[in-house]
Amino acid sequence: MLTYILRRLLQGVIVLLAVSLICFVIFRYMGDPVLTLAGRYATQDQIQEVRKSLGLDQPTYVQYVKFLWNAAHGNFGKSYVSRVPALGLILERFPATFELATCAILISLVFGVGFGVLVALRPYAWHSRAIMAGSLGGISMPTFLTGILLIMIFAVYAGILPPFGRGKTVDVGFWRTGLLTVDGIRHLILPAITLSTYQLAVLLRLTRAGMREVMAEEYIKTAWAKGLSPITVIVKHALRNVLIPVVTMAGLQFGELIAFAIVTETIFQWPGMGNLLLTSIYETDQPVIVTYIMMAAVIIISINILVDIFYAVLNPKIRYD
Amino acid sequence: MKKLAWMTAIALMTAALVAAGPAAAKSLVVAVDSPPRMMNPHGDDSDAGLSFMANFFDGLLQRKGEDGKLTPALAVKWEHPDALSWKFTLRKGVKFHNGNDFTAADVKFSFERLGSPEVSEFLNTGKQITAIDVIDDYTVVIKTKEPIPWFANNMHQIFIMDKESTEARDPGDVMIKPIGTGAYKLQEWVKGSYVRLTANENYWEGAPPIQSVEIRPITESSTRFAALASGKVEIVTGIPVELYEPVVKNPKLEVVSRPARRSIFLALGNKAGSPMADIRVRKAMYMAINEDEIIEKIMRGHAAPAAQIPDVPTVGYNPDLSRLPYDPATAKKLLAEAGYPDGFTVTLSGPNDRYVQDEKICEAVAKYLAKIGIEVNLDVKPKSIFFSEVAEGTLEFYLIGWFDGTYDMGRTYFKLAHSRDADQGFGGLNGANYSNAELDKLLESTAKIIDPEKRRQTLQRLNKMAMVEQIVWIPLHYQEDLYAIQKGQGIQFDPRPDRWMVYKEIDK
Repeated sequence: MLTYILRRLLQGVIVLLAVSLICFVIFRYMGDPVLTLAGRYATQDQIQEVRKSLGLDQPTYVQYVKFLWNAAHGNFGKSYVSRVPALGLILERFPATFELATCAILISLVFGVGFGVLVALRPYAWHSRAIMAGSLGGISMPTFLTGILLIMIFAVYAGILPPFGRGKTVDVGFWRTGLLTVDGIRHLILPAITLSTYQLAVLLRLTRAGMREVMAEEYIKTAWAKGLSPITVIVKHALRNVLIPVVTMAGLQFGELIAFAIVTETIFQWPGMGNLLLTSIYETDQPVIVTYIMMAAVIIISINILVDIFYAVLNPKIRYD
Repeated sequence: MKKLAWMTAIALMTAALVAAGPAAAKSLVVAVDSPPRMMNPHGDDSDAGLSFMANFFDGLLQRKGEDGKLTPALAVKWEHPDALSWKFTLRKGVKFHNGNDFTAADVKFSFERLGSPEVSEFLNTGKQITAIDVIDDYTVVIKTKEPIPWFANNMHQIFIMDKESTEARDPGDVMIKPIGTGAYKLQEWVKGSYVRLTANENYWEGAPPIQSVEIRPITESSTRFAALASGKVEIVTGIPVELYEPVVKNPKLEVVSRPARRSIFLALGNKAGSPMADIRVRKAMYMAINEDEIIEKIMRGHAAPAAQIPDVPTVGYNPDLSRLPYDPATAKKLLAEAGYPDGFTVTLSGPNDRYVQDEKICEAVAKYLAKIGIEVNLDVKPKSIFFSEVAEGTLEFYLIGWFDGTYDMGRTYFKLAHSRDADQGFGGLNGANYSNAELDKLLESTAKIIDPEKRRQTLQRLNKMAMVEQIVWIPLHYQEDLYAIQKGQGIQFDPRPDRWMVYKEIDK
């Protein structure tokens, strides 16, 4: 197990190197940040001076090596746009995104698995058909549309939920949380539902498919024959085996939700990392973009490793050698 | 016993009165379309950024009213003793938010800071200054390398910082905590969420009418509309033309519109031997574009046709200029005369995330030009990439917008129309490499004209040469700024021509 984890970590480092290299190559085609930084009326000479002061006059490979060296020391550079450390800017936004993504993944897990089991047990009942039709909608509806529709219905017409922002927050140490106030939770509902819709539909379909397959297995028939209670058969014997792909999927999705909740955050003006990333892309703020992508990669890689470890807990038969 | 009851009653009433006091304080919630980048007043020369800074800081001068009249602020008087010097007499008794006195040392410090690329986007202004002489605590003379006729016109954008606290603080802290002399102090800035301001009760112009302002940057326009429609905010900036109808139909909301200073136009190259080097071709392209239809269909009526680049209050605006008529038949004839009866092919570039309906306007222009036989390849892209190409000067034909914060067209002409000359720093945003020796000469001659009347006449002459004789650009329209407010709450809001949200000018 330990060698396995070490091997995965090593792979992770290689992936990070590749990701950062790709970032640097892409930046060459992303527009010139120096133009805005020098100001609208700067002359060509002044633009060159700014370029030099940022170290952007050097060849790409020199910049890249410098970046790696600094990153290895925990220094990801200063944002061009706001001239404060990029990592700090991103970490400041992390709690908002983390709370949003956690709520979204919980919603999708609870409802996705719950409805999935329900549908699998009575596949032809009318409510199952309705749920399946709904899940198709959930998969095919783009996030921005879901978000705008929810805002229009619940915030503008019904006026029962706030349309944007995070509401009242409380500082718990360095962590600014919206989960401890009623206002904060009211603000969380619409964006969390929006963010969870797609994932919910995917998990539902995955659970349903798995459950239908497992429920037809011999060992389930044996379990029924033994006279075990339906709960024991469904949850302990059937669902437990189905959960492996579901947990993998949910884990991968969680990483993605944290890293790329961009659309939802933009629509609800949620002060998270995705919102920052989009602004930074518009303004060609390369240090923030590269730090963000590196962080996203770290999150996704770590979650993958955690999911692998969790497998072993769910199914002791799985061995990593 | 009775006495105690009386005393309790009085105490309760006093408490109620005291409690009612702060409740009567006026507050305002505003949703704006772009977030602040930082709280360093020199680090962002965009109007979105200056709009925030203008509340925390003051310039030596300020601009007020419809036509942006230049009026005193931290300086009570300004003089121009010789071509290279600008003398400012400073206001006495002004204090910074931290209690420090405002003096000439702060002015010297702030202007010196402009030249540092680490903290300033006003490099161009900063590098032009050769000396800042502090005559006494309340008199400063600023000397420039070359004569800059519009120097004072820019003084509303250059904000004065407190020398002592800016030097003492960590540079990172200066980026997030503004200490100025402005009408508002920063209470709290939560990035991505809100900026809260409280009134500076000791403001030299008198405390502003609204005590606390909450600014919520909401970049997505439909969410901004939802915020207003659900009553969460009271003023919204940047209503897109496609949301105009829903706002007007909503009985609780009111649209406030203001002709914008920015004009949108097409820039054309004139490389020797290319079709566009022929004035007849330029004229034909101008006449082929149906601007009225662009305004009606694409801008949905929220724009005014332009015959030149500067707007009315700008020095250099020429009231005698008018648009060439829309006349595709004559345009075709002109093309044939110029030797292109079957037209030619040209690439039209433009941004798709910068101006109101920018991409749609480009598409329409391509369609109009196709009608007279000119085949247009559209090359529309995000502004970060587009403006790099403009700066490199590699384009052929492109859409761009401009207005000059100095209200003087001189600086803009040097930047956009003068032949590209890296050594002198001219033509930096002349993206299609337009070059005309006659125009360059006249433009260079204006650099030394300080006399306002003479300057106006020469710039008008230059403007006529550019728009009529040479057709450097094809002007399209002036944009219109659209805001929306909650109706019936007594909000008094007159938008400024420069789109800045200056809260001391708003009341409710």
